[in-house]
Amino acid sequence: MDAYQSRLYWHIRRIIVDGDLAQDTLQETFIKAYQNFHQFKNDSQLYTWLYRIATNEALQQINKLKKMQKTDEDPEYYMQNLVADNAESDAEEIQVLLQSAIQSLPEKQKLVFMMRYYDDLPYEEISKIVDMSVGTLKTNYHYAKQKIEEYIKENYER
Amino acid sequence: MKDFDLEKLERKNIYTVPDNLFENIQEKVLSGINDFDLEKLERKNIYKVPEGLFDDVQQNVLNGVLPAKKAPIFKLNWAYAAAASVALIFGATFVLNSNDSSEATGSQAAVASNEQKPKPESEIAYETLKSDLTSVENSNQTVVNQNVESSLTKAGENREQKTVTQTVKLVSKKEEAQVNEYLDSFSNSEIAELASNSTQDVYLDLYN
Repeated sequence: MDAYQSRLYWHIRRIIVDGDLAQDTLQETFIKAYQNFHQFKNDSQLYTWLYRIATNEALQQINKLKKMQKTDEDPEYYMQNLVADNAESDAEEIQVLLQSAIQSLPEKQKLVFMMRYYDDLPYEEISKIVDMSVGTLKTNYHYAKQKIEEYIKENYER
Repeated sequence: MKDFDLEKLERKNIYTVPDNLFENIQEKVLSGINDFDLEKLERKNIYKVPEGLFDDVQQNVLNGVLPAKKAPIFKLNWAYAAAASVALIFGATFVLNSNDSSEATGSQAAVASNEQKPKPESEIAYETLKSDLTSVENSNQTVVNQNVESSLTKAGENREQKTVTQTVKLVSKKEEAQVNEYLDSFSNSEIAELASNSTQDVYLDLYN
């Protein structure tokens, strides 16, 4: 648990953004991992399996949030406001912009970008976590990166 | 300078400026964005994290994973339950009955002990002495003796004690009669001889 909790927490936090919800999701991830440990196959690495559980749990939480929020509120706008509220007061502007840009991405691009950019996971491992081919992952990462850079350029000029 | 008109003055900047100033500024601004490379940006976590987060997580996970201690639950087998109930009923009945009989036995024993309760030694000595004194009187005086005895005994004594006293009294009278008969069988000379040898015994008998 000590070995994986920090990496898993930040993976979940970047998806969910909200601190309390991320903590609950991390706890639920470990509990589910413990309860379903008999399903773990040794052909994949343990952290890959844990990432898969954490990702599924985080996406479930995001979907719940989207259902709960008002229909007239833009989900993307809501997440960007959440980023600003949860950021440290001394955080660099470019870093806050980057997180806002990530929240503007479609779900799959967001997941691929975060696992590749922050956790430096190989495409083969990401493929096992999100059930996508390596080629699709590379394409998604390329588009994600492009969109983020454009977002930052646009918002930085202002 | 009386005809000076500010409106007619040429608008000129008199400060020196570097050559191509504005071109350079525009280039710098654009290059700052255009040269932006996401890969060169430092990977940082910018979100606030509460203190002791991971300790709390570990504790909560352990609480969620470890089974709570529960009281053992036994499956109720109706056959065993019925057998236990019957055994309980019989056992309770037996215990209650044995208690009743022991109580009855105990009360009987208490009555018997009250009846057989030995009299104090002083009372027995007194009665013996009194009987000796009255032994010279005839046997018809038994009723009189009883009256005297009842007047001498304490007023607070119960009826059972009187009955016991009377029994003792009758027994002692009978013994006296036997002793008298036995003594009558001796001649005067034999009695004198016995008396000379057993003076001390007679005295002892008085106090027994």
